[in-house]
Amino acid sequence: MGWVMGGSAGAAGDVTKRRRVLSRWALLAAILLLAAACDGAATDAEDVGGEESSGGEVNNPGVFVHALDGEPTTLDPARAALGEYGEQVIIQVYEFLVDIGPEGPEPIPALATEVPTQENGLVSEDGLTYTFPIREGVKFHDGSDLTAEVVKYSWDRAMELNLPEGQASTLTDTIEETRAVDEFTFEVTLQEPNVAFITSVVYSTPAAIVSMEAVESNGGVTPGEPNEFMDGNMVGTGAHELISWERNEQLNFEIFEDYWGEPAALDARWQNVPEESAIVLGLRAGDYDAIQFQPTFAAELEDAEGIVFDTGGLLLEPFQLAFNLDIPEGVLPGGDTIPTDFFHDRRIRQAFNYSFDYDAFIDGILTGLGEPATYIPPGVLGYDPEAPVYEQDLEQAEQLFRDAGVWDEGFSVSVLVEDNPAFEPIGLILKDSIEALNPNFRINVRTVSESQFDEAHGTSPFEYAMWIKNADPFVDPHYYLSTYQHPEGEWGERLGFANGYEDPDQIAELIDSGFATTDVDEREAIYSELLPLLYEDPMWIYPAQEVNAQAYRDWVDGFVYNPLWKTLRWRFYDKG
Amino acid sequence: MQVREYIVRRLLTLPLLMLGVSILVFGLSRVGGSPIGIYIEHEMSPAEVAQLEERYGLNDSLPQQYVAWLGGVVRGDLGWSGVSAAPVSEIILPKFTATMELAMLAALIAVVLGLSMGTFGGARKNKLGDHLTRVVAISGASIPIFWFGLMLLIVFYLGFGWAPLGRADPSIYARISHPTGLYTVDSLLNLDFGAFTDALWHLALPAITMGYGSTAIIARMMRSSLVEELGEDYVDAARAKGLPERLVIRRHARRNALMPTMTVIGLSWGFLLQGTVVVELIFNWPGLGRWMTDAVLQGDQATIMSYVLITSIIFLVVNLVVDVAYAYLDRRVVLGG
Repeated sequence: MGWVMGGSAGAAGDVTKRRRVLSRWALLAAILLLAAACDGAATDAEDVGGEESSGGEVNNPGVFVHALDGEPTTLDPARAALGEYGEQVIIQVYEFLVDIGPEGPEPIPALATEVPTQENGLVSEDGLTYTFPIREGVKFHDGSDLTAEVVKYSWDRAMELNLPEGQASTLTDTIEETRAVDEFTFEVTLQEPNVAFITSVVYSTPAAIVSMEAVESNGGVTPGEPNEFMDGNMVGTGAHELISWERNEQLNFEIFEDYWGEPAALDARWQNVPEESAIVLGLRAGDYDAIQFQPTFAAELEDAEGIVFDTGGLLLEPFQLAFNLDIPEGVLPGGDTIPTDFFHDRRIRQAFNYSFDYDAFIDGILTGLGEPATYIPPGVLGYDPEAPVYEQDLEQAEQLFRDAGVWDEGFSVSVLVEDNPAFEPIGLILKDSIEALNPNFRINVRTVSESQFDEAHGTSPFEYAMWIKNADPFVDPHYYLSTYQHPEGEWGERLGFANGYEDPDQIAELIDSGFATTDVDEREAIYSELLPLLYEDPMWIYPAQEVNAQAYRDWVDGFVYNPLWKTLRWRFYDKG
Repeated sequence: MQVREYIVRRLLTLPLLMLGVSILVFGLSRVGGSPIGIYIEHEMSPAEVAQLEERYGLNDSLPQQYVAWLGGVVRGDLGWSGVSAAPVSEIILPKFTATMELAMLAALIAVVLGLSMGTFGGARKNKLGDHLTRVVAISGASIPIFWFGLMLLIVFYLGFGWAPLGRADPSIYARISHPTGLYTVDSLLNLDFGAFTDALWHLALPAITMGYGSTAIIARMMRSSLVEELGEDYVDAARAKGLPERLVIRRHARRNALMPTMTVIGLSWGFLLQGTVVVELIFNWPGLGRWMTDAVLQGDQATIMSYVLITSIIFLVVNLVVDVAYAYLDRRVVLGG
């Protein structure tokens, strides 16, 4: 038995061994064949889609790929919120009666053939009536024609919907009546003269011109109710038309062949890439032509091969730290020890401004891509490079805290901040700055999600003494001042600025008078008088203003950017 | 009890379990606060917030809101996804299939590699082969998936240019129909082998990243089980009969070692799905993980609740499959008896 087994075992062992060798060679051959097939298929993919990575050739020929870390929540101009991603898409597909060119900020004709002024007679003498000659021969993406009636319909629709999440108030707070005088003449009557009407109302998201035919065929207008079709579709007159939207992935656009103006050179794609590292890798690999990025990646992009890192000018959204001067009893978080009138004393507010470490924020968090912020940003009428700005001065801060009588007792106060790579560090820097000054001082930084922050913002009374955000971008200085400085403005009323200004009437009068005149020199003079007053009586801390930094592939031709656009304008770009 | 009866009983209890999960999910989500946050834009006034609450029925009582939500779910209306600006019911299936495709390939990689490595190591206990597989397994369990994925991207995507980012080449993806939502399957159904290769090419790195951790777990369990089985008397008997060691392992020991390993494979599925969030973020994969991350961070409760319901169903089904597999592997197991 043993020798039979042994003999059999020996022969069986040889067979087994041969099979093992053969199977290993077969596996190796299969791997090599698969690798060859994949390489061939990858080449096919390159031929079809041009998706060659890390190469010197232009990737994705014919398509401008713009990668950002988010996407719209709506594509409807009547519903898109200020600063929301939807605005960045709307400006590519929809158009306004006027536009801001690359050289801006002066408005230029767009769907209107002239920009109304008193000089050309298209603005009435009393400044209440604006007449817009409508461009003839303009087609919507659905083939319908642009007429004055369609313009009226677009504006009336936004006002009639009056969606709380949208910007209808930009129109409803300003416009008295709209009229289609004839087929190609559109007229607007204002409630009162508005020097910023063209730049801040006509050139605003809710004033984008939509296809009446498309809307009426898809749900029409129901006051207070969003239109689901318009949320996910776009029928405009712009150089690009929306082809598809794969949620949380990408939006695809094609050149609109019947565009009335100079046609775009490239199709476009909005690529949603939420991970910051991946977005930078994608630009470096050549899959993306331009990206939105965080300042922490600036150093990597500056020296990267094939990438242009461009810094020029400032963004129009300065960071802000708010003081609440209208705190009812018992609403602040437990642990806050400040009295409800804590920030009424301007010495306290000045002391906070002197305490903040601006250099740490600009050089550290913004990696140098920032500058001290003023109440009116550079590039906007009224900007004064000589206007005073706060710098950290700890001695001055201490003196002011002592003078205000809070030095010995100390205080504890919470700051509400949205979970954001820039906002949260502002809170932490404030905490470090204040607490380093005096161990009796305490800053509690409460970080919450964006939705929780927005929800807290919508409460009345506001339940925090301080919060951090950035200002919304505006074309006209009046909106920076009326929104963020006026005692009876949007934030002045909610945060009780009248309780803190030494002379709120003077502040209000200056801001209102700057808006009441169309004379540019007069306006600048008013703002020159106003800005030092705001500096002495600060209602905010302005940590910094971000530098406008762009990163794009060196094969992009014709790259231009205007901060007033709030995004890149794809129709200006080509690939060499 | 017969296997068929057992399956029927499990399926009948499934709706009750789902109802319980829905109550739990709804209740917990409301404990966290009103879902209105996802619909609010910044600097809205209290009056505008109230308008939104009325539009979405959020000023009704909680039971009314639950009934309304549950009624919608039954009708196929899962609510409005604030993070996707579309009905949840329209978005969830494409996200689901994208994640499932990735997860299935990752699971396949994990199972095949894990079982192979575990067998390889177990058969060479305390020899070089065993030590090597142990190193690979430990690294798989300990290397952060985030870091691992980024390293693969830097080396194979940016460095060599071998692997792409995302799910597909948009131009190739657009040229085929998508009846199933699974890019690999759809490409084969369209007889488009270029698209099939594109699908696999995009799947490679994220699937490897996602499956690596589970590979380690499966390999270690398989190795341990195999070592234990190889010490049993029946193995000695098989060797004594003159069977080559390879056949002893393949025909006898491994089969028994698979029993406890199957349990781990089933449980590792949940572990693998946990990686979807990070993997989908890194590789820009448009799946459920990424979608859910946005939903959680933004408080999009409609999306969150839909996702929890669906993953609960998946988990229950997978565990049912594992239990049935047990019965197949060991006829002595009496299910539910």
